[in-house]
Amino acid sequence: MTELDRLDLKGFVTNSVQRVFQTMLSMSLTPGEPPPRERIADGRHIVGTVGFAGTVMGNVNLFVSLEFAREMTAAMLGVPAEEVGGEEEVKDVVGEVCNMVGGDLKSRLCDAGFPCSLSIPTITFGENFHIESKGWVRQERLGFQNSRHPALLEVYVKIST
Amino acid sequence: MALKVLTVDDSKTIRMIVKKAFQPFDCTLIEAENGVEGLAAATREKPGLIILDITMPVMNGVEMLDRLKADADLKDIPVIMLTAESGKDNVVNIVKKGVRDYMVKPFKGEDLIARVRKILPLAERATEESPEAKPAKYFTRIDDIIVLTLPAKVTRPVTVEIEGSLQSKVKEMSEASLKKLILDMGGVTETNVSLIKLIISSIQQCQKSGIAVKLVATPKQGEELKGFQETSALSVTHSIEEAKTAF
Repeated sequence: MTELDRLDLKGFVTNSVQRVFQTMLSMSLTPGEPPPRERIADGRHIVGTVGFAGTVMGNVNLFVSLEFAREMTAAMLGVPAEEVGGEEEVKDVVGEVCNMVGGDLKSRLCDAGFPCSLSIPTITFGENFHIESKGWVRQERLGFQNSRHPALLEVYVKIST
Repeated sequence: MALKVLTVDDSKTIRMIVKKAFQPFDCTLIEAENGVEGLAAATREKPGLIILDITMPVMNGVEMLDRLKADADLKDIPVIMLTAESGKDNVVNIVKKGVRDYMVKPFKGEDLIARVRKILPLAERATEESPEAKPAKYFTRIDDIIVLTLPAKVTRPVTVEIEGSLQSKVKEMSEASLKKLILDMGGVTETNVSLIKLIISSIQQCQKSGIAVKLVATPKQGEELKGFQETSALSVTHSIEEAKTAF
């Protein structure tokens, strides 16, 4: 078993996601079974991604429906959902949430002896698209649910060669 | 004199949260979205405090910090890092570079203010503002662009107040050779006659002084503006970033 296998990625990232949603969005998320992507990707949805690279490489993908993303944006900006402006604001908020979760994970990896750097977030937005990550040593799929919407977080990590 | 606070973050949302946190205090917020813009703003504005992110495109926060500390005119400006990265080595390295505090996202606005108060005194914004202070209420500056942010509700008295403020601001802009203004109505909750009159008078006032104006509105507001004869032909952008690009 390698040092990377010993890390409790699942527990750590679950706490991180819950803390980010609670602190920045005043939103409680309950961890649960990861929903099938199709449940979120039924219609317009958004995927926030941050990558990290160094002695380990990987990425963090956050999948939410567009409706949930708009609610997240309203919560973070402190405005009613109907007052959320254009797509740019929604993308910015999903990207920033992803950046906070990815930043936390990156810091945890650095502290565990895997120094790496974080990328700026990227956003994929639309419908009928599929995102796939291959060749990873560790993969975690984490499901969350708020009162109305599911969210899916995927984490991929591998040792750099 | 208001404390100038420079917030450097590639996320507009984070800049907005920082701005909101400082709202009750006598501060002028200046925004920059990467290290290059941040350095330029720091050189130009000589802020009393910089709130700095790390992971940003173009130039990251660590490089900006290095350059600040290497500049004799800027090295003493207190810097608080506000970043998603909390790794021990990372924090130690950055603290060694001379930052005053290091705050990890996620964060609450009030926690940021508590950290700032350990470094600098913050004066509450006066409830009864003097006429000279009024313009500052609606205006912020991004690089060489002045942003006029309209309040949620635009009534006749608000229109009169903003028109008066704009008059002083336009004069100030002309003296400083600033020629771009963004009129941001994205936060207005009701499109009414007072708002329409204010948009038109603001655009006319700026045009008279050779100031270019871009209007920021939500798609819904854009449709509503088309319903008024006076504003039906106005072109609308949907975000500050889009408006900046449109100049």
